[in-house]
Amino acid sequence: MDQLQQELLELICTTCNLPDVDLATIGPDDPLIGPDSPLGTDSLDALEIAVTIQKEYGVRMDSENTSRIVLQSVARLADYIKANR
Amino acid sequence: MLDFPHTQSAHCESGVAANLLTHQGLTISEAMAFGLGGGLFFGYFPFIRINGLPLVTYRAAAGNILRQIASIDGVSMVEKKFRNQDEAMAELDQALAASIPVGLQTGVFWLPYFPKALRFHFNAHNLVVYGKEGNEYLISDPVFPTPVRCPATDLARARFASGALAPKGKMYYLTRVPAELKLKPHIVQGIRFVCKMMLASPFPLIGVKGIRFLAKRLGKWPQRLGPEQADLHLGHVVRMQEEIGTGGGGFRFMYAAFLQESAAAMQEPRLQECAASLTAAGDTWREFAAMAARLCKKRGRPEDSYPAMVACLNRCAAMEEKVFTELRQWTRQQP
Repeated sequence: MDQLQQELLELICTTCNLPDVDLATIGPDDPLIGPDSPLGTDSLDALEIAVTIQKEYGVRMDSENTSRIVLQSVARLADYIKANR
Repeated sequence: MLDFPHTQSAHCESGVAANLLTHQGLTISEAMAFGLGGGLFFGYFPFIRINGLPLVTYRAAAGNILRQIASIDGVSMVEKKFRNQDEAMAELDQALAASIPVGLQTGVFWLPYFPKALRFHFNAHNLVVYGKEGNEYLISDPVFPTPVRCPATDLARARFASGALAPKGKMYYLTRVPAELKLKPHIVQGIRFVCKMMLASPFPLIGVKGIRFLAKRLGKWPQRLGPEQADLHLGHVVRMQEEIGTGGGGFRFMYAAFLQESAAAMQEPRLQECAASLTAAGDTWREFAAMAARLCKKRGRPEDSYPAMVACLNRCAAMEEKVFTELRQWTRQQP
């Protein structure tokens, strides 16, 4: 996991108040949202993550489809931020 | 088999409208279809209950976008409803045999290609059937990234789902479109329609007044309903705003995209400014939703509270009042 991906994962855990998650067990391609996510996050968490990313990195996810695609994994999210900031 | 241009969209009705027009040679975006169809709205109807929760809607009534598009000069659309399931499926097959892509209103719950978690009882989901192979229909469902397939028995069941907004086998298809779409008058007409809904409704539950009404009611939920029910109501408002195909910000981002596209098409900087202001309103709606989500999840920040959400909603109302007043003035200056 690169530095941005690590940073994003920490930000997500802080935003969604997930202090018990062992970050070392999360892979860059693991699902971020939904029943298959090791974080146990749902659509309300996804909304908060989208708002936080916009605030912290100035990158907007202004459509549901964009969020759905971008929040598939921390690797996808990092790529999206790199491409759009 | 038909070569149908499937494009994924946020919202099914505007997506189907855009895909059907594009198939006929009039390439328009989902946002443009949404805007021409006068899709933006706000309504809070506490006396209408969806799964026991009050109806809050950020878009025009189901079917309105397609109706508005069908009323454009030079566009003709055939629309049929049925009592008999076999007759409805036979008519669909006939249209497909004639190489006509057909729009259908369906109940999401009966469509097997939807993941189970998303199969809820919503009967106004639009899709396009563009072919049949054996006993399976080929479907362009705009909320999916690629075309999907559906067995005939399941599609028939989805077309005749019962309950609120029952589709009654509704099918529709375009029979005529103009060679070229003169966007300008239709953009003005679409904006005029939305301004009227947002600013001039006599009913306090609709438009900007409706947003303020929701703010007032929401502030009282913890006392009136108790904390658990209040959170349930709050989660429902957030889901209707940010999920259910709204494109985020309760369709505000999608309408802003329409205004931006219209500004470019008409060389009209005032529309560009309105697009930016509406995007800012969408961001404020999102701020509200994020605060609501934190409270629902019991991880509110010190500044999060029901009064803070009320203030946020009132800010949304003020911002939208300003945008739509400006847009109304602009439409009055158009021929």
